[in-house]
Amino acid sequence: MPQKILIVDDESHIRMLINQTLEELEDEGVEFLSADNGEAALDLIQDEKPDLVFLDVMMPKMNGMEVCRRVKKELKFNDVFIVLLTAKGQEMDRQRGQEVGADVYMTKPFDPEAILNKAKQVLGIN
Amino acid sequence: MALISLKNIFNKKNVFSSLLDTLSEQLGTRLLVTDAGGVVVYNNNPPQQEVQYSLEIDGEIVGYVKGDSKSKTVADLLVTLLQKENEKKKLGKEVLNLYKEINVIFDFSEKLAQTIDAVAIARIALIEAGQLVHSDGGVVILWDENSGKLQPVALNGDVFFNLEKVNEGVGLLLRIVLSGQSEITSDISALKETGIISEKVSSIIYGALKVNHRVMGAIILADYQAGQYSAGDLKLLTTIALQSSSAIESALLYEKNIREAKEKEEAMRRIYEVTGRFVPFEFIRSLGHERITQVKLGDNVERIVTVLFSDIRDYTGLAEQLSPQENFNFVRSFNEMMGPVIRNNSGFINQYLGDAIMAIFPGNAGDALKAAVEMQIKMFDFNHKRNIEGRRMVQIGIGLHTGPLIMGIIGDADRMDAATLSDTVNIAARLEGLTKYYKAGILVSDDAIRYMSFPDSFHLRYLGRVQLKGKKAPVGVHECFSGNIQQDLDHKLTTLALFNDGIEYYVTKSFDKAGDAFKRIIEIHPGDLTAKLFLNNANHYMQSGVPENWAGVEEMLFK
Repeated sequence: MPQKILIVDDESHIRMLINQTLEELEDEGVEFLSADNGEAALDLIQDEKPDLVFLDVMMPKMNGMEVCRRVKKELKFNDVFIVLLTAKGQEMDRQRGQEVGADVYMTKPFDPEAILNKAKQVLGIN
Repeated sequence: MALISLKNIFNKKNVFSSLLDTLSEQLGTRLLVTDAGGVVVYNNNPPQQEVQYSLEIDGEIVGYVKGDSKSKTVADLLVTLLQKENEKKKLGKEVLNLYKEINVIFDFSEKLAQTIDAVAIARIALIEAGQLVHSDGGVVILWDENSGKLQPVALNGDVFFNLEKVNEGVGLLLRIVLSGQSEITSDISALKETGIISEKVSSIIYGALKVNHRVMGAIILADYQAGQYSAGDLKLLTTIALQSSSAIESALLYEKNIREAKEKEEAMRRIYEVTGRFVPFEFIRSLGHERITQVKLGDNVERIVTVLFSDIRDYTGLAEQLSPQENFNFVRSFNEMMGPVIRNNSGFINQYLGDAIMAIFPGNAGDALKAAVEMQIKMFDFNHKRNIEGRRMVQIGIGLHTGPLIMGIIGDADRMDAATLSDTVNIAARLEGLTKYYKAGILVSDDAIRYMSFPDSFHLRYLGRVQLKGKKAPVGVHECFSGNIQQDLDHKLTTLALFNDGIEYYVTKSFDKAGDAFKRIIEIHPGDLTAKLFLNNANHYMQSGVPENWAGVEEMLFK
């Protein structure tokens, strides 16, 4: 069963950037999934059980906080590692992020290096 | 260069495999696809592999399609699709690189925002520039408008720049630093000839530090290899220069403000030192401020204070005999003598008006009278000296009155002055004027005595009430003779009861009895000029009668 990373952001260029940042993981057989809203993300998480989710906070339909809460608190998918992404200056979300069970919290503009390192660490890839 | 990996594409995109399934079925062929290294990524078991088509992307073979001649269509289609994938990857990579640059610049901006020191900003900018644009060395030069000189404020990497020669070849450098342009140049022979930059440098790139066309300097990077710099480098350097320009400007402005504030503070301190002698600190404090710099136009405070007004008697006559310089010296030494007396008794001098002094005593009115007595005693010493020197004696009159006083700042914003506005000052001044008439050294109003904690500690004689010009109510006046020479003092004490009787008779129009009393005083003490005045007045009223409604009040219309 290949490892899976789900990238959730309503902005396509952010999805593309994260995808591109993590490109080298493809060589390790990691599969990439993406969603552009919270509802789709929740469906994908239930169907695919990704190992790692990069989850934008500000999104239409269902925001990242709510997605995270459902995954962690209701579905109790504790094996799904969730990285919340939010714009700089909205750091006050950090506490709420912890409340809804997010594993890690990162700000945009994100440091590509940090994203890649985090993914490698979660997936156990050197 | 191709960026794609066939293996990853076939792994990731099931569409590729299913597309090939359909195609080979339609074409009635079977084929095998491998990547460049021979790893099979797709295989529907062709019976033979007679033909091999290479999959070439951007001049690089990324894989092979093996099968029969019909496989060519599949290979062509695959190349087209792979090219699309490759383009997409390239685009993605480019976007990511741009994003990384943005990220660096974002961090850079954050760092700048935390820095308020121009030199530190220059250093950060130079280090960031060095990270984004390869170079063997870099320098930030700022133009100092005040000194008209170029100043290297930050260095990074190898020192390719001769710091000492920076200002020698100013013309050459100015073209770079003050051009306001950002450029890549390899024509640096002139800079090398003058020894400003090292022989080893082959290309330089510079970004102007400017805000709204005002050029402040430049970031200059140098490389030992020729033709090292690209348009992309220039774009990055320009961005960094632009970002740091406004930060440097703010920092310089900030520094300028700080410097100016310090200078202003220093100037104010000096003004304060000087004005402290003219505008007493007590005055400023009574306005509720700690320092003169806080004083605003219109500030004022009303207090009950005692005003002491002193004047040199017949100063005009004295002054006529003196040159302006002697005059000045006289007044100065006089004021120097009296100033400490007033301050030591908790008063402050509000104004020196030539030979007159106006002092304010915010506390007990007794302080003011004590000061007045001491001033008169000082005058004896002063006159003693003058007498020895063969100079004319000088006498002062002192008037004291207690009442409300408004102390405030008047004038306009450019010329502010401390002012005291009140009747209290006028009355004190008028009482001083009356000292000559009453032949008394110190005259004290009723109100002043009422505000004294221990009026009995002074020797006082009541002189009746006086109607001052322009005043409604008459003012009760007392002579204080505590400062008289011992002989006069003793006499006045001896005759005090008699004097009080005389005044009592006088104000009740018993001028004959009053005259008797004053006559007896003069027999005991011929030097009592005040008693003489009342005797004369009593005689005058006896002969010519008193005005109607006379209530023992002297009408003082002359002062």
